[in-house]
This record gives sequence, C-alpha cells and structure tokens, in this order.
Amino acid sequence: MFRFPELLRRCAIVVCGLLLASAITAANSAKPTAYYGYGEPATPQQIAGWDIDIRSDGKGLPPGSGSVQDGEIIYEEQCALCHGSFGEGEGRYPSLAGGEGSLQDARPHKTVGSYWNYTSTLWDYIHRAMPFTQPESLSDDEVYAVTAYVLYLNDLVDGDFVLSQETLTQVQLPNEPNFVPDPRPDVHNKRCMRECKDPNTISIKFEAALHVPTPTKVELPSENTAGESVYRASCAVCHDSGIGGAPVLGDASDWLARIGKDVGTLYSNAINGFQGDRGVMPARGGFTQLSDAEVTAAVDYLVEESR
Amino acid sequence: MSKQQELDGLIKSIAAAGEKLPGPERRLFLKQGLTMLGAAGAASGAAGIGAAEAALPPGVPSWTKSLGTGVVTNPYGEPSPFEAHIKRRNLEWLTADKIASISFTPLADLKGIITPNGLVFERYHAGLPAVDPGLHRLMIHGMVDRPIVLSMDDLMRFPSISMTRFLECAANGGMEWRGAQMDRLQLTHGMLACCEWTGVLLSTLLQEVGVQKGAAWILAEGADGSHMSRSIPMDKALDDALIVYAQNGEPLRPEQGYPVRLINPGWEGNTCVKWLRRLKIGDKPWYHREETSKYTDLMPDGSSREFTFVQECNSVITNPCPENPLKGPGKFWVEGLAWSGRGKIKQVDVSFDGGVSWRTTRFTSAVLPRALTRFGVEWDWNGAQALLQSRAIDETGYVQPTYGQLRAVRGTSSIYHKNAIHTWKVNNNGSVANVQIS
Ligand code: HEC
Ligand code: HEC
Repeated sequence: MFRFPELLRRCAIVVCGLLLASAITAANSAKPTAYYGYGEPATPQQIAGWDIDIRSDGKGLPPGSGSVQDGEIIYEEQCALCHGSFGEGEGRYPSLAGGEGSLQDARPHKTVGSYWNYTSTLWDYIHRAMPFTQPESLSDDEVYAVTAYVLYLNDLVDGDFVLSQETLTQVQLPNEPNFVPDPRPDVHNKRCMRECKDPNTISIKFEAALHVPTPTKVELPSENTAGESVYRASCAVCHDSGIGGAPVLGDASDWLARIGKDVGTLYSNAINGFQGDRGVMPARGGFTQLSDAEVTAAVDYLVEESR
Repeated sequence: MSKQQELDGLIKSIAAAGEKLPGPERRLFLKQGLTMLGAAGAASGAAGIGAAEAALPPGVPSWTKSLGTGVVTNPYGEPSPFEAHIKRRNLEWLTADKIASISFTPLADLKGIITPNGLVFERYHAGLPAVDPGLHRLMIHGMVDRPIVLSMDDLMRFPSISMTRFLECAANGGMEWRGAQMDRLQLTHGMLACCEWTGVLLSTLLQEVGVQKGAAWILAEGADGSHMSRSIPMDKALDDALIVYAQNGEPLRPEQGYPVRLINPGWEGNTCVKWLRRLKIGDKPWYHREETSKYTDLMPDGSSREFTFVQECNSVITNPCPENPLKGPGKFWVEGLAWSGRGKIKQVDVSFDGGVSWRTTRFTSAVLPRALTRFGVEWDWNGAQALLQSRAIDETGYVQPTYGQLRAVRGTSSIYHKNAIHTWKVNNNGSVANVQIS
C-alpha cells in the first residue's frame, strides 16, 4: 500500500516531467533543431566567402563599379588573347560579340549581344569562371569594368558608360523577351508496325564518311610521359596554338633563342610567370596546384620536342 | 642475392644511366633501347604464329601449362591488356582545348546496362580538379532555418540509398541535327552512361536544414574552377535528386565529381553538378550562363526554350554499328539500348527496312526507371543492304520520333535534346555506316 506522501512525490515527478517536456517543445518550436544534427552551423563569415551567385534581378551584386575605359585595359591584357580584341573569338574560343539578328539563320551566331538574356549573367560568369586560367582572380570593380567593356563591344552601352551595382540591371539585353518555358513533349510519333511508309520514298539524305573501325594500335610510352601529360593538361591550351604569343610546341625557330637561355631561367619563368615581348606567361600557366617538379617536367618536354 | 633481385638491380642501373644523359642523348639511348626491344618483340611475334597454332586444340596454350602471377600483383585490377582499345575518345576539333571539353563512352564495346566507372564520358568546364576529400565541404544555406557546412564524414552518416540511373549530356548527338556527321556509335551517342549511384536523398538534407516558406529553387554549385552552377526546381529536389558519393560500389571517380556530386535522374547531365560544394535555397531561378547562353534550345522562330531539363525517350542499336560490322550473312543477334528521362521503357521495336515494317524486341536486362535498358532481337541477314532502326516507347506512352517529326517542330539549330530514331546502313560487305534517310 502507498503511503500518501510517497504518492504525492511520485505525482510531482510525473507533473514536473510533463511540464519540462512541454517547456522543451515550446523552446523547440521557437528554435527548431535538426533531426540528425550532423555537421556544423554555417557561420556568416563562411557563407560570405562562397556566396558568389548573382541573380537575374541583380540580387547578390556587391557594391562597386567600373568603366568601359578601365575595362578595355583589363580586357586587352586578360581576355583578348582568347576572345579576340573585338570579341570575335580566337580559334575555337567563344566569341563574345556580334551575331545580331542571326538567330533564325542556318548558322545562328549566339553571343552576349545576340543571345544572352540578362546582364547579371555576364557579371556572374566572368566573376566565377574567367579569365579561364585564373577564375575568381579579378576584383569586384574589375569585373564591373570588364563586363562594361563586353557590353560596349556589343554596342549595348556607350564608351563613357560606368557599370555599377545600381546601373547593372538597367542594361537590358535585346534577346531577353525571346526565352520561353519548356513545352515538351512537343513532338508526337505513333507506333506503327506494318506498311508504315512507302518503300519507294526512302532515300539516303546524309551519310557520314566511314573512317573507322576503331584502331587498336598500342601506343609506346614516350620518354617524358610525366612532362607530356602535365603539358597536355595545363600548357597545351596556349602552347599548341601559340595563342597570345606563346611559343608553339615543336616550332624549333620559335624556341631557338629561348632554349639558348640557361634552363634554370626557363624553369623559373614557367614557375613564377613572366612578361616577355610577346605576351604574358602566367605563373604555372595559371594552374597553381602544379608542383615545381610538374612544371619543370613540362618545360623539359616542351624543350625536347622543340629542338 | 636472388636471380630476381639481380635482374631488378640491372634494370635500375640501366634506367639510371639513361637518366643521367642530357636530353637528345637520352632520347637516342631510349630509342636504341626501343629498337632492340622491338626486334625482340618481332622475334617473339614470329614465334607467336607457331605458338598460336600450338595453343589451339588439340594443342594446349602456354598459360595452361605454367603458373600465373600472384594476388595483388595489381592491387587495383585493370581490364585485360587485350581490351586496351575499349576507352573513352574525344574529338579534337569540337572544342578549343581539352580543359573545357568532352569525351565519349565506348558504347559499342559495352554489355548490359552498367557503364564501368573508368569509361563514363567526361565533361569538364575548367579541367579535372584535384579535390582533397578531407578539405572538401558542402554548404547548404539561403532560405533555410539552419544553414550548415558538411564534411564528407558528416554526409556519409545520413541514411543512404542506391539507384541505377542513366546520365546523358543534353548535347548527346547534337552534331547530327543538320545531318549524319559522326562515323561511329561512340561519337553519335557516347555522351551517355548508366551507373548505380549511392548517396543521400537531397530531400533528407533539405529536411535537416529546414526549408523556409516560399522557397522554390536551389542553386547547385561546383568546386572546380568553372564554379559550375545550375538552378534546380524544388519539385525535383524533393522527388529523386540524389547527393552522390559512390558509383558502381566504389567512391565516385574524380572525373565524375569526387568526392560528391548531384544526380538529377533523367535530367540533362549538366544539372548533375560535380565536385558539389554549395546548395543555396531561393525563391527564383538564377539564370546563370549554363542555363541561358548554353543548355537552352533555339527554335526556328528565333525563340529559345529555357529550363529544358528532361532527356526524352531515346534508343540506339549497338550491335551492329560502325565499330561492330557484320561478318557475313546468317543469324545475327541485334541489340541496343533504350532510355527515358520520364520513367521506364515500355517497348522497343526494330526495323530492318528503313521504317516500313517493324518487329518488336525483348528486354535482356532489368527494366528500371530512368535507366539504360537493353533490348535484343534475332535477325537473319541475307547479305543485302539494310537500313536498321530502333524506336523506343516509354511508360508515359511517348513514342521516339523520326528526324522529320523532330525537325518539323524544332528546326536544326537547337543543339540539345536530339532523340530522333537513328539509322545504321548495313552494306553488302557487312560494314555499317551512319545515315539519315527520308
Ligand atoms: C585562355 C583562354 C581564355 C581567356 C584568357 C579568357 N577566356 Fe573567357 N572563355 C574561354 C573558354 C574556353 C570559354 C568557354 C568555357 C566553357 O564552355 O566552359 C570561355 C567563355 C567565356 C564567356 C562565355 C561565352 C558564352 O557565349 O557563353 C565569357 C563571357 C568570357 N569567357 C569572358 C571572358 C573575359 C571577360 C575574360 C577576361 C577577364 C576571359 N573570358 C578570358 C577562354 C578564355
Ligand atoms: C595562358 C597562356 C599560357 C599557358 C597556359 C602557358 N603558357 Fe607558357 N608562355 C605563354 C606565353 C604568352 C609565353 C611567351 C611570353 C613572351 O616571351 O613574351 C610563354 C612562354 C613560356 C616559356 C618560355 C619562357 C622563356 O623564358 O622564354 C616556357 C618555358 C613556358 N612558357 C612554359 C610553360 C609551361 C610549362 C606551361 C604549363 C605548365 C605553360 N607555359 C603554360 C603563355 C602560356
């Protein structure tokens, strides 16, 4: 048999427990906790370092500005070697200007001016991905300036224009109204099994010339495979084509004077980068993760192949 | 000192002697070495002909009468050296360089529906980054109650799930819109693969961070130099989007986004952001470069379709194909692959006369939603020219269209989402060519 005080004590525990539980629930609904609770809360400082996206309404743009004139200098130094002085695109690199009114042609020419829908996209992309070999290397003001210059190359702003956090969304791109939502499925076929078409109407309209079947030749390793693979991955982008004044692989006359230098100079110029008469050789070709040994192996490969 | 140690020592000292020589001499040294090896090879090659005869019945090959190498000779196994031709290939002229470029899966040589990890096509926009998993973080923030940063260890503690799904670049076959251009299957359809992907459902992570009212889109962003970014609608995120850290049973390959990527089953490959570092929740799409300048479909009237995510129902015959010619008249097992971003494949029909009459095929693999599905049918080839086609139907009833039907609506400039019925022409000599017919 329970004595009265004992019963009271037990009741008190239960009531207290209930009160406590409801207090916790109240706290939870005010500041809910995660179910698993793995990981760390993202701090505002951490977020600030990675939160680089700009939206089409300009949300995310940092304070700052840049002029067409300043942009021209940056563009000539850091963009023209691939995209051409007028945005026409060197070799197979994308062109950034031109193509107005070409979208219904047999060969449409899609560029910032003729195809893109928002100016914010240009700022966002240059900031996140360009210049190609050194993404995220431009300051915010430099991005404003070079964005302004690409707009200028497309005749979308005047030569004295200044692009800023305030003015960016005011520059509307001509093709914006022409984007529509996905209407698919938009093409309809029916399942037919017999006499689906007249055999006499069948003719071959296109035939791809047959080059293959696949070669099974085993390739012998070349003497400097490490250097060659570094070269292919990191240096070929400029040194295969000679873009921006880079001496071309295998062009002995182009390399003669350079090979005449002491090899230590070539190594250090490739590792640290240098400005020559012909153009800019970025440090490690812009691939900062390469070790010294990898860069020198690539230089050896370049030199051996270019004697 | 054992014989083997002696031999190792000798090889090392020869290599070291070669190392010490200056460039040109070293090349000569190695070239002479190679010539000698070549001569030795030729000799053994000549011997090889006799050996081949001796190996065939009633003879017994050398490997049956000797011991092979021991375990862990090759701790991470590789394919037989006789299969060295089965590899990814690229097209030099397609892109300015190999860093923002693509390579193709060798579909002609693959069996079943799973693509081996080393053969899954590559697509980079700033090359292959070397990501250290210990230092990699996934940040989830924006319109959420609890923004978090997850390490790979954190991510792997969540409940996991595995799904076999295809992965296809939106531009697969894009070079064929204006006419037959590519001379082989690897290039006409090879931006395609299918793997078992393992990871955490994105919906689990969204629950964990507490998505706020009004949230409708998610920006997924990569940790490579291109900071690849795409806007993903919330519906897909809550449906089957997967945060993936393993493929076909092993950690993701670097080429596939190691240590973690997004997979949006059935959607264009570009939305499946690799080396995933950030998910930002918002109320509107971002309109970034890969969803405006690229991955939008230009129509004949000059308009462009945006956010065209789904890879529609498609199929192709993989045997025969230019890489797998016919060896002469007789019975032949014709097979191929079908897939649909909208679900399961319901039926595949094959024509041998350019689409006049069709025969239904049977499935020779599992039939999974949004996965490659293998079909096959027997064919008696009489040695005459034939026009082979396959036509897939998915569970929504959608029938794969002809080039004529596709071009009538979309013209020839849209680059992406080409899923027309494909034609192989079998010539009298058994060779196979890529053609387009009226
Ligand atoms: C070393 C060559 C190189 C340099 C230098 C370079 N780019 Fe690029 N750029 C590229 C390549 C390659 C692409 C395409 C990348 C891809 O498709 O993933 C590209 C794409 C672009 C695009 C998108 C084009 C389109 O139509 O989608 C813009 C805009 C651009 N670059 C601007 C710049 C600017 C501005 C600079 C200078 C700050 C610059 N680039 C420097 C190689 C380069
Ligand atoms: C963005 C283009 C670019 C890339 C990428 C690049 N280079 Fe260069 N490189 C240049 C240019 C331009 C020059 C010539 C500069 C001059 O002489 O004006 C040059 C010159 C050189 C030279 C000659 C140096 C000298 O002293 O004359 C070497 C060696 C070299 N590069 C090595 C490399 C290696 C190794 C890599 C890859 C790790 C690489 N480069 C990647 C543009 C590039």
